[in-house]
Amino acid sequence: MSAVLTCSGLDAGYVAGRPVLRNLDLSVDAGTVLALLGPNGAGKTTLLLTIAGLQPPLGGHIGLSGAPVRPGSPRAAVKAGLVLVPDDRSLFKGLTVTENLKLASRRGSATTVEKIFDYFPDLSRRAKIAAGSLSGGEQQMLAIGRALMQDPKVLLVDELSMGLAPVIVESLLPVIRRVVDDTGAACVMVEQHVMLALRIADTAMVLAHGDVALRGDARELAADEARIERAYLGRSAKT
Amino acid sequence: MGIFVLFLILGLGSGAVYAALALGLVVTYRSSGVVNLATGAIALYVAYTYAFLRQGELVDPIPGLDPTPGIGTGPLGFWPSFGISIVIAGVLGALLYVLIFRPLRAAPAAAKAVASVGVMLVVEALLATGIGSSAVSVRPIFPYHIYEIFGSRVPGDRLWFAALVIVVSIALGLWFRLTRFGLATRAAAESEKGAFVTGLSPQRIALVNWALSTIIAGIGGVLIAPIVELTPDAYDLFIVAALAAALVGNFSKIGVTVAAALIIGMLQSEATYLESKSWLPSSGLADLVPLIVILLFLVVRGQELPARGAIIQHTLGLAPRPRGYVGPAVVIAGAGFVALAATHGSMRAAIITTLVMAIIALSQVVVTGYSGQISFAQLTIAGVGAFSLTRIQYQLHVPFPFAPLLAAVFAMIVGVVVGLPALRIRGLPVAVTTLALAAVLQNLWFNNPDWNGGLGGSPIKDPSIFGVDLGVGSGHGYPHLSFGVLCLIVLLLAAGGVALVRRSRLGAAMLAVRANERAAAASGISVSGIKLAAFAIGGFLAGLGGAMLAYQQTSANESSFTAIGGLAFFTTAYLAGVTSVSGGINAGIIAAGGIIYTLVNNGVPLWICVLLLGLLLAGIVHQAWPKFTRTSLAVVALAAVAAAILHHGGVQLGSYYAAISAVLLIFTVILNPEGLVGPMQTQLAALREKLRARRSPAQTAAPAAAGAIAAPGGLAAPDRLPAADVLAAAGGLPTADELAAAERPARRSPPDGSARPLLTVSGVGVRYGGVVANEDVSFEVLPGEIVGLIGPNGAGKTTLIDAISGYARATGSVELRGRKLDGLKPYQRSRGGLGRTFQGIELYDDLSVRENVEVGTMAARSARPDGGHPAIGIDAYFKILDLQGVADQPVRQLSVGQRQLVSVARALAGRPAIVLLDEPAAGLDATESRWLGGRLRAIRDAGTTIVMVDHDMGLVLDVCDRIVVLNLGRVVAVGPPAEIERNDEVKRAYLGTTHADVQPRPDQPPQPVQLGGPDSAEVIR
Repeated sequence: MSAVLTCSGLDAGYVAGRPVLRNLDLSVDAGTVLALLGPNGAGKTTLLLTIAGLQPPLGGHIGLSGAPVRPGSPRAAVKAGLVLVPDDRSLFKGLTVTENLKLASRRGSATTVEKIFDYFPDLSRRAKIAAGSLSGGEQQMLAIGRALMQDPKVLLVDELSMGLAPVIVESLLPVIRRVVDDTGAACVMVEQHVMLALRIADTAMVLAHGDVALRGDARELAADEARIERAYLGRSAKT
Repeated sequence: MGIFVLFLILGLGSGAVYAALALGLVVTYRSSGVVNLATGAIALYVAYTYAFLRQGELVDPIPGLDPTPGIGTGPLGFWPSFGISIVIAGVLGALLYVLIFRPLRAAPAAAKAVASVGVMLVVEALLATGIGSSAVSVRPIFPYHIYEIFGSRVPGDRLWFAALVIVVSIALGLWFRLTRFGLATRAAAESEKGAFVTGLSPQRIALVNWALSTIIAGIGGVLIAPIVELTPDAYDLFIVAALAAALVGNFSKIGVTVAAALIIGMLQSEATYLESKSWLPSSGLADLVPLIVILLFLVVRGQELPARGAIIQHTLGLAPRPRGYVGPAVVIAGAGFVALAATHGSMRAAIITTLVMAIIALSQVVVTGYSGQISFAQLTIAGVGAFSLTRIQYQLHVPFPFAPLLAAVFAMIVGVVVGLPALRIRGLPVAVTTLALAAVLQNLWFNNPDWNGGLGGSPIKDPSIFGVDLGVGSGHGYPHLSFGVLCLIVLLLAAGGVALVRRSRLGAAMLAVRANERAAAASGISVSGIKLAAFAIGGFLAGLGGAMLAYQQTSANESSFTAIGGLAFFTTAYLAGVTSVSGGINAGIIAAGGIIYTLVNNGVPLWICVLLLGLLLAGIVHQAWPKFTRTSLAVVALAAVAAAILHHGGVQLGSYYAAISAVLLIFTVILNPEGLVGPMQTQLAALREKLRARRSPAQTAAPAAAGAIAAPGGLAAPDRLPAADVLAAAGGLPTADELAAAERPARRSPPDGSARPLLTVSGVGVRYGGVVANEDVSFEVLPGEIVGLIGPNGAGKTTLIDAISGYARATGSVELRGRKLDGLKPYQRSRGGLGRTFQGIELYDDLSVRENVEVGTMAARSARPDGGHPAIGIDAYFKILDLQGVADQPVRQLSVGQRQLVSVARALAGRPAIVLLDEPAAGLDATESRWLGGRLRAIRDAGTTIVMVDHDMGLVLDVCDRIVVLNLGRVVAVGPPAEIERNDEVKRAYLGTTHADVQPRPDQPPQPVQLGGPDSAEVIR
């Protein structure tokens, strides 16, 4: 399979000359999930913000199916198909579920609100409720649904599990897998719950202190917790 | 009855224009978060444009050109004039957004308000200078039929106007609700990031909305023009009524806003009629109407502390602690005396004005800079001082120096009254209220011929002490040096007082309230008390300054203390640096009538003008396109040289001073949203840091070098964990046992079950409207326990914490150490020994780690007189929580994990008996979470009982002695971790089929079975 998302030599950060992430190379194939792991401050959220165009990169390139993406422009990123589900969800709290979804719809797109409700049946029951009144799990579903409405080629999910009870996280992650399998989109998922993430991922990468500490097949890594732990502490050799 | 109805209908005219302006306010606020105080001025400009187009001329605001050139077509009819004016209105709105308010996107609300006042001042100044102040008459637009209603003959044009505005508002409402663009507007207003990730363009949305806003305001401006006389200040106070209406509609509800505006207009008209009655004041009643409407609204809607989830932005800039008194005092005294002695005539008068305005500006520093209350009324409160002085001198015959002090006391009382609404609301509504109050003071008191001398002002006697005349003098020898020295002394005393406040506990409490009111209350600070103290001190200072100004002018004049003047004064003070004493003095220097103003007015060489303007433009270029900085600087230099060669002598800015200074104001706000003094102080602080670091390199945190710089990974860095030391010593990976032993101190035996409970929660329930958040929750916490509170999302955990700490109204009872807490406010519970942290962390972003934690010590000091040495106490907490390395860094630079710990430290600094932690592990990764567990045990061992809410099951199961499980607002289980883990109901609802043990950790020894106490897996009543 060909790589859908590629980053080459990417420097990401907020202040010129002081990158949080250095010289990152990354490639994700269509229809696969990359789990992005690592301790706090490693730069995972920064990386997603940079790919989504919300933060201009300090160096390097981002490419989608070979074509370069204009850096630092959220509109260019969304147009190219790079859609982010932010860690704070960033929902429109005063608008209803349906209105939140409708705003994200694209002209000529096959994805309709009904399709989203098909992925998330719980949401269909709350269609006319304001997003601010939903529970945490429902809000996360809506955030993912809103991203799906935009027919993403690359879905970027930042800390899906934040603030959610484990049982809800377990019900949401398979939906991501299903979406990736159905649509052939690629997915980059930042997660704290390592084992849950590795269960649905194809590949995984551990970022620590601005560098890639570990990279490889998800199933192999899942079987070797100690190696991941060492990568978190920044001690293991790179693969 | 007839007259009554007549005046009501007449009031519909002004009500309609208020409605149009209010709609404009709502639209710009919703789309860009800006309260556009210039809306009235823009309406005025459009009205002038229309009026002149009807005469076949175009209004040209560019100074130096013909202000009303003919357009060659002769007088235009209504529709063409109206059409062109509206187009111009839209273009104006778009320009304002692109040039001014888009660059200010991320600036604090106060900066945006300042910029909008700048726009207002520019427009009004350009109109006054270009077109002049003679009234322009406009032919009626609506049909002027007279209708008979309830026996009185009323003009129909008002009815048409009101009807039109209602139609416009309905159209606008439908547009927001039904069209995609309207939906997108509402969305972008809520979350800019959300808009970006949804493919919307917040900038394009804001641009269209601004154009829409000015178009609506313009329509209102044109249609009211035939009804009122068109002069440059005709629409001045429209903005107050419009703001009141928008406030009632919460800056979002269109229908309510329009209704409120129409009602305000009608009631104002009635009030104006009532002014003719002999037993009522003959001016100012109309201005009472918006004020009363606002106050009624506040009584109905306001609440004391911000609700959970509200984002408060109070970034007003650093408020540095004055380092001493003697040094600055000597500098001010020396420089001031020399300046006074070395000058004479108008220049000395300017210096005296500077001194006096500085005193008034210091009141703004205390109220706004230290306490975060945006008050537009400080200048008008100074007027209270001036006008009270008249009464005190002529009716109470109080001599100097008691007279000005007494005047200041009166002003202080008025200041407190002005501040009362701030107890129930915060932010821009406070500002609007102060503006409305200022308008009332201006018209009901200062302008009232019944009470004052009318246009000539009220006379003021000269101050004299022991027969020595200290007055300002007149004719030759004006102004007397002795009067100047008197003002200097008063300024020194005022500045010293303000510095004293900043250095005191009161000052620290004010800064805490400014930064975050909820957290301040949790730290034991009485937020209401602080706000009142701020307004009281501010009122006193303003009154003192006003009295001195009255002495200088030898009369109290309304024109020096107008409400709109207060708006301009606020912007001056803000710009000069409202967060420090030096900023206050700076404000005096740049204020109207002060040193800079007089220098400029006396004729400034052209090349200096060119240079200054050029530098400002170069500054903007540098911000936006850094590549062109050098080129632009070169251009500026060339232009200045050219000007110096070509034009000798000075340029009389004369009447254009107001416009130019307002333009400069806008530029400066865009470049320095936090005021002029702020960035300078940041540089100084950075310099000091560098010097300190060079002197003691050992203190700089080592882990910061690991690469993550904006968020030093102090906590995540491996070198911090004891495991690293073990690793280094052993030369290899630690075994699980070694890790466990190194991290955990010897496990304390669980608390004795027979001890009296520290905290008792009985039958606590919380309802929000129809939703039951908690029902009949009861449990006990023994001293020395760590109790976990878990449950699925929506189970009511944070609500329960809010109920126990007093942030949510609840049924049932909470007892701490046997004493009932019911009915006590949060700060009282805090002082009683109950600490808490917040889910959103809610630290004071402006302050350093140390200052944040110091605020927490308020609770301890207030409760126990033997508070000990708080400084030592704090360092001990820094050690326990491993924050020594970052203790003096500003909090916004820390990583999430570190911020969590600072928040815990702040709660602990109050020496609570028990601390409620709301999701302390949120945002922490596996390693940090484990570290936190160790720290929590250390805290417990040091004597504080802990109740913690969290989702990190690994942490909770590891660290807690007992766990309380909530689901759907009720307690479903209480017991030791082992039992909870096995409990089927808990597992199904919350833990899920796979255990929450999902973080990578080395194999742990099996959990010891918890012994003792009445704790078992059954619901405790």
